[in-house]
Amino acid sequence: MALETTVERAEGRVPITIVALDGELDASNFEGLTAAVRDLYEQGTRQLLLDLTDLRFMASSGLVALHAIVRIMHGEAAPDADAGWNALHTVGLDAASGSAQTEVQLCGVQPAVQRVLDRTGLSRLFVTHPDRATALAAF
Amino acid sequence: MPAARHRLRIPAALDRVADVRALARSVTDEIGAPQVCVDDVVQAVDEAATNIVLHGYRGRAGWLDVAVEREGDRVVITIEDDAPPFDPTAHPEPDLTIPADRRRPGGMGIHLIRLAMDAVAHRPRPGGGNILTMSRTLDPRPMEER
Repeated sequence: MALETTVERAEGRVPITIVALDGELDASNFEGLTAAVRDLYEQGTRQLLLDLTDLRFMASSGLVALHAIVRIMHGEAAPDADAGWNALHTVGLDAASGSAQTEVQLCGVQPAVQRVLDRTGLSRLFVTHPDRATALAAF
Repeated sequence: MPAARHRLRIPAALDRVADVRALARSVTDEIGAPQVCVDDVVQAVDEAATNIVLHGYRGRAGWLDVAVEREGDRVVITIEDDAPPFDPTAHPEPDLTIPADRRRPGGMGIHLIRLAMDAVAHRPRPGGGNILTMSRTLDPRPMEER
């Protein structure tokens, strides 16, 4: 199964770009997702909601993409894949103390994907919402 | 009734790893494995196959033979290749207490495998290559709750 991305816009208190992922995020397509978010940032996106309702699988490479996306949304150059784990340092996040940034938020995270985020400590970096409506109200 | 067993050979290409995930889902669904077990098997086979493509073959052409089968109360995954020796179990466990910015990239795949599987073993393949065997019980609970 491939990965399909759908981009929508919404107006909360701030303009929000929603990227919905449908399929499987793996080592064959995570760089494409990163590039898509880079384009959105260059077009003006500053608040990003990743809707993972239909994302049925996420590989460890997907975690690297999430790091890169956070970095991009903080105005930093996207790291290459090998530098993915350095992303948090450059945006000044403190994963160890559990602080989450708010420029990139998640909704609709399915149990298998949530387990990957939890098992790697990445869940601490993201504000997550049960569904899109709840997320949009929270931005 | 014979135990469910399926084999698949894929070329060593990242865009073919989805095929082995589909194989893992097919076998675990067929034997009625609980969802957490299905998810763990799919995750492990993906991370292992991806590691072989990236770190075993390193861009060279090659193949992976993947078998997923039930043995008693366990699901057993076997992946064979003819890449240069590559033992993913030799990689140290990432220390998750270290801030993410100081972790080495690429260590998360084997970390996820270890949390998804009950046993992981590597051995050389006779004639060259590698054999990676991973197994998980049909326990419906994730590792963290056992």
